[in-house]
Amino acid sequence: MVNARPRMATRLGKLDLAYPTLMGSGCYGSGEEFAPFADLSKLGAIVLKSVTRRPRLGNPMPRLVHTPGGMLNAIGLQNPGLDWYLEHELHKYAGRPCKLVGSVAGFAVDDYAYVCERLAARDEIDAIELNVSCPNVASEGETFGCSPRLTASVVRAARATTDKTLIVKLSPNVTDICEIAREAEAAGADALAVINTVRGMAINVDSWRPRLANVSGGLSGPAIRPIAVLAVYEVAQTVKIPIVGQGGIETMSDAVEFFLAGATAISIGTANFTDPRIPERIVNELQAYLAARGLGAVDAIVGKANVGFATPHQYEGDEG
Amino acid sequence: MPTLHRNAGVHATTVIERRVLAPGVVSLTLDAPKLASASRPGQYVMAIPPSAQSAATALAVYEAEGKRASLLFFLTGRRTRELSELRTGDPLDVVGPLGNGFDCASDARDVAIVAGGVGIASVLLCAQALAREQRRVRLFYGARTADLIVDAQRFADAGCELVITTDDGTRGDRGYVTDALARAPKPDAIFACGPTPMLRAVARIAVESNIPAQLSLEETFGCGVGGCWGCVVPVARTSSQAPSFPPPESGGSDVIYARICREGPVFWAHELRW
Repeated sequence: MVNARPRMATRLGKLDLAYPTLMGSGCYGSGEEFAPFADLSKLGAIVLKSVTRRPRLGNPMPRLVHTPGGMLNAIGLQNPGLDWYLEHELHKYAGRPCKLVGSVAGFAVDDYAYVCERLAARDEIDAIELNVSCPNVASEGETFGCSPRLTASVVRAARATTDKTLIVKLSPNVTDICEIAREAEAAGADALAVINTVRGMAINVDSWRPRLANVSGGLSGPAIRPIAVLAVYEVAQTVKIPIVGQGGIETMSDAVEFFLAGATAISIGTANFTDPRIPERIVNELQAYLAARGLGAVDAIVGKANVGFATPHQYEGDEG
Repeated sequence: MPTLHRNAGVHATTVIERRVLAPGVVSLTLDAPKLASASRPGQYVMAIPPSAQSAATALAVYEAEGKRASLLFFLTGRRTRELSELRTGDPLDVVGPLGNGFDCASDARDVAIVAGGVGIASVLLCAQALAREQRRVRLFYGARTADLIVDAQRFADAGCELVITTDDGTRGDRGYVTDALARAPKPDAIFACGPTPMLRAVARIAVESNIPAQLSLEETFGCGVGGCWGCVVPVARTSSQAPSFPPPESGGSDVIYARICREGPVFWAHELRW
């Protein structure tokens, strides 16, 4: 019996993806950096590096340290600021053979709304991710993503500026990620990215100094995968909007764990630093995994290990 | 400086020779025709760990000739140890060649190459290219101790005059290689690769004496291709290697962090603001 190849396409809000794979923000540049080594037409979307209202130089060095099963980074949101980005950078990203998600970071509710509106207005941008959870920048008061109230304010303000798909990236560095997920959904998020990096630190035992100039950083890589799988599992029981599962995915079976926990799509970040062929390999092997089980589409495994999984996981403002 | 990554790709190679040049110093020669023909002096590869258990490792392309490209590296941790355990016949996938590399097209007649420790791995192709053009090429080569002076004869064979220093005086002059450089008659151009304190000293000498100097910076890389901004160095906004960034009057800056893996690893000493 010849089966058609299982369908890889999926959907986050209004964002149609040919493949259920996103490249994590800050890990893949604008895609151009990886184009000589990876077929960008085999990716669902690239989440661009976060942009802020004003230019940011970023943190001093060292910004990155390899740790067992992953790495710590503290880049500090280096970017030329929104005006410069829109005028001098974004047009270069047109014509990518996959979707582009703009990433918005900020230090006030106002910043998020302002940047989101102007970024989302551009044709190069297919959807917006709200980075409310960068662990590496000093901000006055709370980090937005650590407060249900502030998360809701940011999402509501951004929601009012655009109809494009709004993905909210949640921090694991909180007491109850589900409470924040619930607030983000109620405030109008179309999808949730679960999880951002886990805060961590490494110390040089010769110099007796922190190994990152920023002291603390965000831990990524396989070391955080079980943390991420549980977060996806629990958030999937809490909200009805789709989830982008992320945190240390390196192989097809890692990806399947996230789908089974309740993710509609997955995001690959640090694994691109091991081998730029990993995203395409995961898609190919995932098709074989589904075909071997007689399944016609990746949707068929979403939430299947999650007894409390809340269906249907679809955008409700669209008849499709 | 030359531009980038035009001829780069992912190469499935095979180890055809493994040499231990000193305790903890290994070279792997790969059957890699495309990599060998595409590599220019000062470029590097990201070697994909066979176990796929950690991030890829940036290694200098030491030699490139015919079908053979070799990588020379010091064992510094888990990732280089895994690569050092490869044997003849083993497969090794590498991404490259990467980075801008040295610009060897200058018309300097009297060139100094300065290498410290594992920095020697980045300068052989450069030395060969410069010596082929009948320039005077002096190699100032420093290491901690005599054992760690590796492959000096290759440079002599290529036509370089050697000035060797060791921290402990077990070979050549005792002291830092940059002190030997400062004592020597001034060259017309400097090419250098080594640890950051050495490069800073080279930069001081070069800027004070107004000698154009190209420095290949060493740093821990994340992605190695420009995607993560984890390896940066401050450069003047006026540098051709500065990333696009607004000027101070628009909330920007005169000094911008450039990616060592992408805009570099080779920078002009007088443009660095470190």
